[in-house]
Amino acid sequence: MSMNEDQVIRRDRMRFTKNTLSSSLALLAIIADVFYFVSIYKSDVGSYYYNIIIGASILYNLLFMLVAFLSSEGVKGYKIGYAYALLVIGALQIVRIFILPLSAHTATVTINQQETIVMQTPQFIRVVIYLCISAACCITAGIVGIIKSRALSAHIASMGTTKAA
Amino acid sequence: MATLSLQHIDKIYDNKVQAVFDFNLDVKDGELIVLVGPSGCGKSTTLRMIAGLEDISAGKLFLDGKDITQTPAKDRDMAMVFQNYALYGHMTIYENMAFSLTLRKENPNVIHKKVLAAAEILGLTEQLNKKPGQLSGGQRQRVAMGRSIVRNPKVFLFDEPLSNLDAKLRGATRREILLLHKRLNATMLYVTHDQTEALTLADRIVCMSMGYVQQVGTPLELYDTPANLFVASFIGLPPMNFFKVHVQGNELVGTNLNVPITPEEQAILSDYSGKEIVLGVRPEDIVEGGTIPVKVFSNENLGMNTLVHGHLGNSKEVEAKITCKFRGWSDYKPGDFVNVSFVKKHFFDPETTNAIRGEK
Repeated sequence: MSMNEDQVIRRDRMRFTKNTLSSSLALLAIIADVFYFVSIYKSDVGSYYYNIIIGASILYNLLFMLVAFLSSEGVKGYKIGYAYALLVIGALQIVRIFILPLSAHTATVTINQQETIVMQTPQFIRVVIYLCISAACCITAGIVGIIKSRALSAHIASMGTTKAA
Repeated sequence: MATLSLQHIDKIYDNKVQAVFDFNLDVKDGELIVLVGPSGCGKSTTLRMIAGLEDISAGKLFLDGKDITQTPAKDRDMAMVFQNYALYGHMTIYENMAFSLTLRKENPNVIHKKVLAAAEILGLTEQLNKKPGQLSGGQRQRVAMGRSIVRNPKVFLFDEPLSNLDAKLRGATRREILLLHKRLNATMLYVTHDQTEALTLADRIVCMSMGYVQQVGTPLELYDTPANLFVASFIGLPPMNFFKVHVQGNELVGTNLNVPITPEEQAILSDYSGKEIVLGVRPEDIVEGGTIPVKVFSNENLGMNTLVHGHLGNSKEVEAKITCKFRGWSDYKPGDFVNVSFVKKHFFDPETTNAIRGEK
């Protein structure tokens, strides 16, 4: 089997096999996000988290999981739109680092007349890692999804051309 | 492809019930052998022993001259197609066909080529992305066959693969199996209780009853020269008519029956002069016109043929019942008499039930 033939068959296989890599990465992103919000919600210092930010955070987590799951199913079938959606939610995961975790890390509250940092450095590092993993998974899944979807579209188009010829 | 040899195979279950007795068969390379017989005759058990799904109690099994009696099923290089398809409902057709090769960790590109080639042969290319639930029974059975083809086994085993299909689909799938056999030139063993499948598919038929092989031969041999009463009654539709008669000189005499016999037939029956024998006549070997009177009690027009059921003369005895298959359209009414003659006769020994061939 020549290199070229090998590549053609590999592309042709995509007509019948699913994009499990992107799909699995998207699911992994959801798991990392779950670790992130569990780490955030299980701790509270004073009543810092009892405000609108945490409500928005919960809603966004629900939305993220929904979109990531739907995208996971979508990219499995080489639908390029879902791959772009994964890129977007991946980018948003990075943006999130600079909202809740960072604000909690820089904020202080007074407990027993003592200034305390809301999110200590070890916890901050942990949740940032979770968000980074989640973002990396989403972005990688999106990029792989786009590459594979385009390759499959081109292959199907070339098959149509060959048949027509 | 491969040759297969079964030598003195017995199957005795733990409860001491013996299902197969002294089964002997040599299957040639590329041959399609059909094991036929009524339910419980041991044909499926024999196939399962060949596949390695049942232990062989006694005897030897050889594949290409190599003794595989004790070889596990997975190492026998045989593929089996079951009656109930045994497809994975959550997988696509492509994944179902590729599954066995994936388990063997074959190169995915090689698997892909094999699956596409098999799908092309079976006309399943358009169905590869569907799930089994979206296919018809015939298509599912083709998928089951495709799963066997991709493995490129030495021997294909079919265990009543068409039993779940309706009559029309069964005919079509039967023709597909025949084409597949011609195309692959593969060694195949096929189990069925349907004699039509056996006659149309087989290079050779193994007719079984009660765990014993009754006759091995080409479809024509089994039809034309059945070895015994069982084979004569099992092969042919409608089944052969049987009459108890006595050999008296140049005729056979029975209840309301006097059948002249030729000098050749006299020679065959020379040892039975004055004795009772069983006369067998196929319905299609009975023609209108002759000296044997038949009282009609029902008339079934089938278009090209007419099945006439009646009694010999005025007899009401069960053994005097006769079924005739006349060419063309007939309109006999119950109570009508029709005179018939027998074009071809089969003779059987009533004690041994074996065919009388006059061989010394």
